[in-house]
Amino acid sequence: MRLVVEGASRAFGGVWAVRDVSLTVEPGELRAVIGPNGAGKSTLFALIGGQLAADHGRVRFDGDPVERLPAHRRARRGVSVVFQAARVFHGMTVLENVMVGAHATTRSGFLAAALRLPAHRRDEREIRTAAMVCLERTGLADWAGRAAEELPLGRQRSLQLARALCARPRLLLLDEPASGLRAAERERLAGLITGLRAEGLTILLVEHDVAFVMRLADRVTVLDLGRVIAEGTPAEVRARPEVVAAYLGPS
Amino acid sequence: MRLLLLGAVTLAIPPLLPERHLATFVLFALTATVTVGVSLLMGYAGQVSLGQAAFYAIGAYAAGLLAVHGAPPVLGLLLAPVVAAVAAVLLGAPLLRLRGHHLAFATLAVQLILLSVLASADWAGGAIGLQGIPRLVGDDLGYAYAAIVVLTLAVLVSRNVIASRPGRALRAAATSEIAAAASGVPVGRHRLAVFALSAAMAGLAGGVYAFYLGYLSPGSFPVLLSIEFVVMAVVGGLGTVAGPVVGAGVIIVLVQLLNTLGTQPGMPGYAPSVLSYAVYAIVLITCVLYLPRGLVPALRRLRIPSRAG
Repeated sequence: MRLVVEGASRAFGGVWAVRDVSLTVEPGELRAVIGPNGAGKSTLFALIGGQLAADHGRVRFDGDPVERLPAHRRARRGVSVVFQAARVFHGMTVLENVMVGAHATTRSGFLAAALRLPAHRRDEREIRTAAMVCLERTGLADWAGRAAEELPLGRQRSLQLARALCARPRLLLLDEPASGLRAAERERLAGLITGLRAEGLTILLVEHDVAFVMRLADRVTVLDLGRVIAEGTPAEVRARPEVVAAYLGPS
Repeated sequence: MRLLLLGAVTLAIPPLLPERHLATFVLFALTATVTVGVSLLMGYAGQVSLGQAAFYAIGAYAAGLLAVHGAPPVLGLLLAPVVAAVAAVLLGAPLLRLRGHHLAFATLAVQLILLSVLASADWAGGAIGLQGIPRLVGDDLGYAYAAIVVLTLAVLVSRNVIASRPGRALRAAATSEIAAAASGVPVGRHRLAVFALSAAMAGLAGGVYAFYLGYLSPGSFPVLLSIEFVVMAVVGGLGTVAGPVVGAGVIIVLVQLLNTLGTQPGMPGYAPSVLSYAVYAIVLITCVLYLPRGLVPALRRLRIPSRAG
């Protein structure tokens, strides 16, 4: 999917969290958005995913404006999100959590479920198979029957990723997926992201940890105080003095 | 297999019961049906309704009014859940924007308004009540079986929905609306649907109730009844399919026992009502203190000893 953000702005209490941000992510690209704390990364993420509405500006998925659509409609358009906090669903198994991810791509409703119509049974079978594939992929297959909230934090993050993949997304948004992970988990995540990128999935990766993204991303957008201050390949961005200044503070 | 056995046992109970207990059984099955809906709403969708008796009343009055005006009883019975569900959709659209306690109080207010409207509506019999509702089946045994059918239907629908795509979506939204929406779940629409489904169960039970009693008045649907449904759901165990049925059974039997005790010779005249009010308080407090997850999960844990976690 081609993602275009045009002049997006969002203020909280009179302070701009994101101000006039534009960026274009080409289909199949892995784009990283980096910046110091409070740069507006998470706000930008929410403006694309639909968790927040923009005050001004556009968001386009494959050319279609989506900035007025609620999050669940955007999910149906092919965007999947992995939140920074491990938002797993309690009181449900790991497998059920991942099955929720397929909601956007399936249809059967209350009536079909209540009466166990054939359409519902078919949907259920397909959802279960798809969810198991995603669990295998994220290394959670052995945990399928466990209660989701019993998983260690690192696994809960993998679970969120499995849930996002179960929607068969065309654009994957990841908000600081590596934060709080141990080195081995971080390596596994990097491998998984590389694999998804190789399959042609468009990925937007918001990350505080610059080292983690520099080796993964095709291009990097740098935010500071809600504005784009640099954009380019990892090597180009690293060489820009304003990026160094933003991270180290004005000298 | 276990289900078949359970069904056979349930069907064998009514003929074995003496006449006076048969009435209690019908009341139990109808109350349990409403409680299944309340439990679905509270346990899986994370919404509290303190006005579920309003939908019970709407179903009962819909069936009763139709029958009084000459419609065949079966038609009234079929329309009772539909009318209750439509009422829930109309009320729920604004109400479900409210969260937690606000929704609980709003549903309570809806019931109070409905009761005062019914009490002053001449076409519904007013405060005196709606009389002369024809019978649906011949005897109490027939009503016992009608009530079993209705309860079975509610349990099956509830079980099917919980383990389905919309059911998982609801349960997900109960933990995190944001994450559920991000997975493509239209949270508001699903909540409205389950609110309507729980109202339909209450309405269907209300329909049977109308034909069983043959007489309806606003006094048959007090606020205490709505609270009863919630207590039964909590005591039985939220988030289980069997919980509401067990909860309704335990409380109805307890109330009956206390009623018998209260009407013993030598007891003061206020004893029955004091005892039955007290039972809700004591059962609820005991349950919250010692069995916070309800009877059914507690019994399950006894049978499958100590799973980690």
